[in-house]
Amino acid sequence: MNFSLWQITPVTLFLIFIAPVAIVLFSLTGDYSENWSHLYNYVLIGYIKNSFYLILGVSLTVLILGVGTAWIITNYDFSFKNFFEWALILPLAVPPYILAYTFTGLFDTFGTANNLIREIFDLSRDFTFFPKVRNVPGAIIVFSFTLYPYVYLVSRMAFINQSRSIIEAGRTLGLNKLEVFYKLAVPMIRPAIIGGLMLVVMETISDFGAVDHFAISTFTTGIFRTWYGMYDIETAMQLASLLLLFAITLIIIERYSRRNASYSNAMSLYKPLSHEKLRGFKNFLAFSACFIPIFIGFILPVVELTYWALNYKLDFFNEKFISTAWNTFYLAIIAAFFCSVLAVLINFSIRYKSNNYLKFMSSFLTVGYAVPGLILAIGVMQMLTFIDKSFVSNIPNIVFTGSIFGLVLAYIIKSYALSNSTIDAGYQRINERIDDVARTLKTSGWSLLSQVHLPLLKTSFLTSMLLVVSEVIKELPATLILRPFNFDTLAVYTYVYAAEERMYDAAAPSIAIVMVGLIPIIILTRMIRRSRPASRY
Amino acid sequence: MASLEVKDLSHSYIRGKSVLKEINFSLEAGEILSILGPSGCGKTTLLRIIAGLEKETSGSVNIDDHIISDHLHTVLTENRNIGLVVQERALFPHLTIINNVMFGIKETKSKKYEIAMRLLKLFKVDKYAYNFPNEISSGEQQRVAIARAMAPNPGILLMDEPFGTLDQSLTHQLRTETRKILKDNNTTAIIVSHDFDDAISMSDKVIVIDDGQIVQSGSAKDITHISPEKSVKLGSIISNS
Repeated sequence: MNFSLWQITPVTLFLIFIAPVAIVLFSLTGDYSENWSHLYNYVLIGYIKNSFYLILGVSLTVLILGVGTAWIITNYDFSFKNFFEWALILPLAVPPYILAYTFTGLFDTFGTANNLIREIFDLSRDFTFFPKVRNVPGAIIVFSFTLYPYVYLVSRMAFINQSRSIIEAGRTLGLNKLEVFYKLAVPMIRPAIIGGLMLVVMETISDFGAVDHFAISTFTTGIFRTWYGMYDIETAMQLASLLLLFAITLIIIERYSRRNASYSNAMSLYKPLSHEKLRGFKNFLAFSACFIPIFIGFILPVVELTYWALNYKLDFFNEKFISTAWNTFYLAIIAAFFCSVLAVLINFSIRYKSNNYLKFMSSFLTVGYAVPGLILAIGVMQMLTFIDKSFVSNIPNIVFTGSIFGLVLAYIIKSYALSNSTIDAGYQRINERIDDVARTLKTSGWSLLSQVHLPLLKTSFLTSMLLVVSEVIKELPATLILRPFNFDTLAVYTYVYAAEERMYDAAAPSIAIVMVGLIPIIILTRMIRRSRPASRY
Repeated sequence: MASLEVKDLSHSYIRGKSVLKEINFSLEAGEILSILGPSGCGKTTLLRIIAGLEKETSGSVNIDDHIISDHLHTVLTENRNIGLVVQERALFPHLTIINNVMFGIKETKSKKYEIAMRLLKLFKVDKYAYNFPNEISSGEQQRVAIARAMAPNPGILLMDEPFGTLDQSLTHQLRTETRKILKDNNTTAIIVSHDFDDAISMSDKVIVIDDGQIVQSGSAKDITHISPEKSVKLGSIISNS
């Protein structure tokens, strides 16, 4: 390993990571077909309208759910508070498309919930108690109750860091408890909330599975239909570009908010917030406020899926399920391993050969998480087609398009941010003087990495692997497009069955996805506990 | 053991704002030099430049009459045969004490062990050989850090505020012991400190840096017997630290 390799690696990765996105954006400069005119004149406004309502509805709901529960948990002592503190993150384990599947299974005209009401009250088959959910308000509920933990997490972290002195100062200046909340506490953590909210919006606009299941026309379903229905990849890419430009705007806002987030904990002397003990009706209110989001976002889908799996398809543990689970597992492990290795190499390069362009590239590589999976898939597909045609057409048995390679590449680009933040946090904990001393002990480059850094990064590496595994297992649109022929993952398996309304068959893979999704929840819970300023004293 | 010569060395992080200005000094093999000065005066930067962890803006560093750093040459840190002890100690937390000390020795395993154990005995921490750094006190950690830096038999040993975080009685004891070991091993050493007692009691030579410039230099004895005028100046530098 020579010196320059530590600089070349990030540059090469930068080019590979940026190529699919650049290919998609480049389509804007190409010719516009008749399909584009059709979309532009008749459909595009519908996509924009639906996306706008979704974003607006989801944003408002997650703000209420996320910030509200974070404030209650941080400031009050009530029944099962310790349980709610971590359980409020549980809905993160449920991808929106799985909640959408269970919602339709529950609340459709002949769904479990309506059937139950009819049976209990002996009502006719025409009677429908629960309103239809396959619409924009239904999608808003699905997205809000699965994605609010993003806002809850950042708000909780920020509230934890707020000093009691500031809140007490507000009270002495005449503010009541509610005013302290919305005039002082919330404005102080505004940048953090905006950061969390942007993540929610990005997830909402990137989703394909839930909106497709609810038959709501958005950009992602439009892109999919243009490609697979009209067989017009150019127009699909042009449509994707518009969505990508919106995603880039969100990234900029999110980055900007994160940069300003520090003012939320700019106190010189930290005093932990005191917890007010709630009793009677107030205790019940706080309990309900925390229980309802968990019930809708986690308990309900898990109970329904388990019910389906156990009562209707006890033989779900069949050969097909095992092979699909195995495909998912090894794909996730490969992607997680490479993603984590890349994150280590890049972070090491930055530390070892510190300069501004490496830092810039590293921060750029992390924006992959915000690129919708569908767009990434289109870009990767186009890039691989180009490579196949230009470079490997003469080599027999080598085709990148439709291979595992493309899928793993897309996963790495999409999940790199997770690995990077984990490894970066690991590096923050290694004192830089250790490197100085190691160098004077004739240990540099690869030896420094393997003998000193890697052993110290073991936990971070494992955490990074787990986070990426759980992310990859949930990923749907990119997998759907890039998977090799006849190659299913749990997410695809779930999607295909749900699309055929075979909800009972979709139950077992859905449960598996949710279970794996619990891994990062456990890690996050531990990280939050460790991050409390009070725990350091 | 090696001799050291620093010639016309200047350094700045921002153009036009020098951290070090025209630093000149030399050190014979086996001598101990203390660099004294208030926080932020540039003494740590000087040490890092000698170690090769930072590159000087101008001037040169010579070891045993060989240029190891100037505008044309830069010998990498790992090839300078220099030992470094930092205030934070920076012991490798994943390695036992014996493995920390053996880390930089390029010998056979048995020879490495022999050298490391000898040093651990010398610094009276051999009973902790198989403990991890977090299992021993900060004073013991500091002894291990010095032993580790001395283990590969470096030409020059650089110590940056080696006793900065220790209490006074422990500092006094370690100072005496470390000087004895350095002298017994004929080790050339530079100790950066803002503590006047550290400088006087441990070293043969002292230079005082203020605002990036050498304002006083001489033997430890000279420094303790300076004129009243200079004494006031030196006193203010030390009290600022």
